Amino acid sequence: MRSLTMQCKAEMLRIVRNPYYVFWSLLMPIMFYFIFTRVVNTGDSDPTWAAHYLMSMAAFSVMGSAIMTLGIRLVQERTQGWTTFIRITPLPGYVYFLGKMFGQTMMHLFSIICIFAAGYLINGVSLSTAQWLLCGLWLLVGSLPFLAMGTLVGSMKRVDTASGVSNAVYMALAITGGMWMPLEILPRLMQKIGVWLPSYNYGNGAWQIVQGSHPEWSNILILLGYLAVFMILSVYIRKQQEAV
Amino acid sequence: METVIAMNVVSKVFKGKKAVDNISFKIYKGSITAILGPNGAGKTTAILMMLGLLEPTEGSVTIFGQHPKDKSVREKTGSMLQEVSVMDRLKVKEIISLISSYYQYPMDQKLLVEATGLDPADLNRYAEKLSGGQKRSLGFALALAGDPELLFFDEPTVGLDITARRRFWEKVRGLAEQGKTILFTTHYLPEAEDIADRILLFNRGSLAADGSPDEIKARIVKRSLSFLQPADGLDLQQKLLTLPSIDGCYYKDGRIFVTTEDTDEALRDIFTAGLPVKDVRIDQGRLDEAFEQLTMNQEGAV
Repeated sequence: MRSLTMQCKAEMLRIVRNPYYVFWSLLMPIMFYFIFTRVVNTGDSDPTWAAHYLMSMAAFSVMGSAIMTLGIRLVQERTQGWTTFIRITPLPGYVYFLGKMFGQTMMHLFSIICIFAAGYLINGVSLSTAQWLLCGLWLLVGSLPFLAMGTLVGSMKRVDTASGVSNAVYMALAITGGMWMPLEILPRLMQKIGVWLPSYNYGNGAWQIVQGSHPEWSNILILLGYLAVFMILSVYIRKQQEAV
Repeated sequence: METVIAMNVVSKVFKGKKAVDNISFKIYKGSITAILGPNGAGKTTAILMMLGLLEPTEGSVTIFGQHPKDKSVREKTGSMLQEVSVMDRLKVKEIISLISSYYQYPMDQKLLVEATGLDPADLNRYAEKLSGGQKRSLGFALALAGDPELLFFDEPTVGLDITARRRFWEKVRGLAEQGKTILFTTHYLPEAEDIADRILLFNRGSLAADGSPDEIKARIVKRSLSFLQPADGLDLQQKLLTLPSIDGCYYKDGRIFVTTEDTDEALRDIFTAGLPVKDVRIDQGRLDEAFEQLTMNQEGAV
């Protein structure tokens, strides 16, 4: 138990002390938010758009840190031999993994709170308490498939590959999932693909909540499906790599 | 004697190439053993199998009578490996208490901090900002975090200057005096000779020799005898070469040299044959020369 709390604490400290996190996960989404709701005239400056885009940016931020921060960090720890060192200590593998997930979740929670606060301060986005909480919860729990994707990225051999691939996947998912601009204004083919992507289903859950509705069943099912696929792949690859 | 490590006819094949070939040995409690050999001799592969990081292709490895991956083994083992960096964004003190928390009976943190040999100011620095040598010192302290009975050091002194090297071995000797079992790899011969009470000489994946530094020396070092060159030197050389205990014979600086595995027996043969030798000297070959020769032979054979 002590090792678990220590591991969680260490992971949190490491994330908070990482300046890249502050830039990529907080400053960038908030800047985007400011630009696309205040600077660029999108034609409909109604409060619905302000709330909708706030959710897009929160989802964008959390998705990014789940895929990139986790993935790249895992590769770094392996290439620097740190993972090997941990493996020869008595620390059970699951404690190491839980520590990582805890650190990530805390980081996601902090991102969500900061971005929501920015929405309130910049555009006076007003939602009911239940809506704020539900959105936050949806974004936290819904990040699971992306964390699983992060562990997939984490099985890559080199940091450069991992960072390149995860960056490309991240941006592609964000755009095609309607996080940067609503899916409705994208070409039809992209819309058709988009609705099957994890990013769209992730964002849509929160978009539904701010409209006074709730996430659709299809959103939940598709995200669960991706979670299962990524987890199986990740476990399979890990097994292959360890069978030396 | 209590057996700590048992390697039982162990082989490891990587892509059809045998990195470790049919190796068997036992390591006993409280011993300091060096695995000595040139680069690529299979030293690290052997260590990784003992740590449970690699599975042997054939044979078995047991540590404290258990599989190396067993949790009870992990609790009692500490290691310093090659190419292990430190966790980033954590201070030295934080890393030490983190790793200590992994063990059921950790070593006192004050002792660990002492073991790093770092200044109090450095303890509050981020570990990744330490110099290479300081990181190594931290790695050494982390190996001790669980107050282990068995310690593995893989090429521990590579990249350390002479002072740091000496300080490291002083600490290792201190640990051995506490009854800890120590196994280290090195390709630096004097280190094995000075520190270890047993040397396992690895050569191309197999165990070329196993014994105390003196025994190893006797096995691989050729000794030579020399005498003053008499008037009919050539005749004497020919007669010497007929003796079974003598391997070779040559002339240098006014003296005749003969090489032999066993100087005692050679002398006995020479006197029995009644050969006219004068001013007999026994020359001890040097271990590092013999080692170099062994290494060169290996390179030549590849």
